[in-house]
Amino acid sequence: MKVKLRYSHEAASKPVLAEIILKTGLLINIIEAKLTPKEGEMVIDIATQGQALKRALEYLRAAGLEVTELRSLVEVDRERCISCGACISPCPSRAIRFDESLDIEIDERRCIGCGICISACPRKAIQLI
Amino acid sequence: MTAEEFIEFVEQSGLEKAAKEVDVVTTGTFGAMCSSGAFLNFGHSEPPIKMVRCWLNDVPVYKGLAAVDAYLGATSMSETKPFEYGGGHVIEDLVSGKEVELRAESYGTDCYPRRSLETTIILDDLNQAYLYNPRNAYQRYNAATNTSDHILYTYMGTLLPRYGNVTFSGSGQLSPLYKDLNLETIGFGTRIFLGGGVGYVVGEGTQHKPQSGFATLAVKGDLRGMSAEYLKGAVFHNYGTTLYVGVGIPIPIINMRVAATAALKDEDIPVDILDYSVPSRDRPIIKKSNYAELKSGKVVIGDKEVPSSPLSSIKVARKIAETLKRWIEAGEFFIQRPIELLPNYREFKPLKIKKREVTVGDIMMPLKDLVLAKPEDDIKKVAKMIIEKNIDHVPIVSEEGVLIGIVTTWDLTRALAEDKKTLKEIMTRYVITAKESERVDEVAKRMAEHHISGLPVVDDVMRVKGLITSDDISRKLVGRRGV
Ligand code: SF4
Ligand code: SF4
Repeated sequence: MKVKLRYSHEAASKPVLAEIILKTGLLINIIEAKLTPKEGEMVIDIATQGQALKRALEYLRAAGLEVTELRSLVEVDRERCISCGACISPCPSRAIRFDESLDIEIDERRCIGCGICISACPRKAIQLI
Repeated sequence: MTAEEFIEFVEQSGLEKAAKEVDVVTTGTFGAMCSSGAFLNFGHSEPPIKMVRCWLNDVPVYKGLAAVDAYLGATSMSETKPFEYGGGHVIEDLVSGKEVELRAESYGTDCYPRRSLETTIILDDLNQAYLYNPRNAYQRYNAATNTSDHILYTYMGTLLPRYGNVTFSGSGQLSPLYKDLNLETIGFGTRIFLGGGVGYVVGEGTQHKPQSGFATLAVKGDLRGMSAEYLKGAVFHNYGTTLYVGVGIPIPIINMRVAATAALKDEDIPVDILDYSVPSRDRPIIKKSNYAELKSGKVVIGDKEVPSSPLSSIKVARKIAETLKRWIEAGEFFIQRPIELLPNYREFKPLKIKKREVTVGDIMMPLKDLVLAKPEDDIKKVAKMIIEKNIDHVPIVSEEGVLIGIVTTWDLTRALAEDKKTLKEIMTRYVITAKESERVDEVAKRMAEHHISGLPVVDDVMRVKGLITSDDISRKLVGRRGV
């Protein structure tokens, strides 16, 4: 599950991520981070689901972070997409494939938000969200 | 029935029965076809203008024709939004009924006094607007991969480094020209599905090479009556703009031979996977594959499973074959026997560069002016030599003159500071080299890629013949061109 974290003023000084990793033993992958001493934004991937995930998110919220759950990092504009498949094989994490009706689907659990599919798409149909 | 239905039918009932019972097989393809464009006639303004330069939504339109005739090419790129919007997109916009900005300039003549105009047009404002594509619907096409260690952006899409992926083009077992492999039914005058409307084959396409399965078509059709669903402007990153064109051709099953080729399956259609990191017209074949393997999503190259994906839309290709089938069944589309068949042999000529090009051998520093050293040479001695000769690169060679390493002035300076003694301790062993026969611009590119300023020039057995530096290139080349 990917979540976007927003650090407020005070929370920025606390090592929240380190604490949550220590306490829960969860695997957390930092995908993107924009940090200044005062505030910041971070996209992380928490490698868990269900109750454990819920607890982790609660913990983050309690620490004063603004938490948004990310459905996916990229989004396909179905109006523009022509189901060509040019985005599929360039995806380094194999997150894109054809479904039965030959439309593409992006596996949000695999996507790392690298953006290669965005430039690979001849129809400019993929966007970061 | 569609080509895919025909394949199934043949599998169940056998070729003979299928050939007897089926009259027509419909095909389809929907891929990027750069050799596409539209002839347009804008009509005359008051006072009239002889358009000399002309733009549609800032995309330059070819104006080497009569006053208000023009040709809009799919790969022509917007001057304000290059690599984003181009001729293909203008065609899509026109067919969707969108307003397009027209700008034109002229020098003014006695009969056409106006010198400029700016207005907007829609498709219905034009007198004629027809798609005329000099090369569409390749019978089959090569696939692409990349063996280099950097990402490539090509007309075959994004190619990841070190065999990261394979891309391929064409619709395989639905491919219009492959289903009539020997070109017995398709020719000048054949009525076809083109861009969602009706079009015609107007001859062989450019680079038509039917003897090796690379036949192509020139096609024409009225843009009015076409649909933006089957004409889509597209961009290949860092390459340019193009147009996805939908083409579908009915293949009348006139004899057993045609039936047999119409029944060919993806696994029967060979595709070579080429290495697009070799910037040459003769790219090495990495693997001989076929559409079935490519469409499966992975290709085995050596001992590696490499993801593969198409650039043409198989989904839309199927829809085209289905649509054409429905048109024929409904009596809305008539099969037209061609006036003339396409040639089934064409020589495929390369372009020869007749003017002699400057090669590395022409401008390199020859062996006699170089400072060469042996691995066990003393650093101080070599440093003294390069100061005397005022050079930056010292190739290190064996007794036989074979290159084994290189040191630069910078390496030597640092080595002296660190108190190293012999060249062996500091030389770079992995040396990028050049050949005497290579073109200078290729070598310049290699230097830039590796951030180096000089390359030893070697022969086939790695004996040093000279040295070429970026300084030589800029000084001597500029001198030659007389700038
Ligand atoms: S952003 Fe990267 S990882 Fe995600 S789908 Fe696109 S190419 Fe794959
Ligand atoms: S490359 Fe773009 S148009 Fe093609 S399938 Fe992917 S998202 Fe759709």
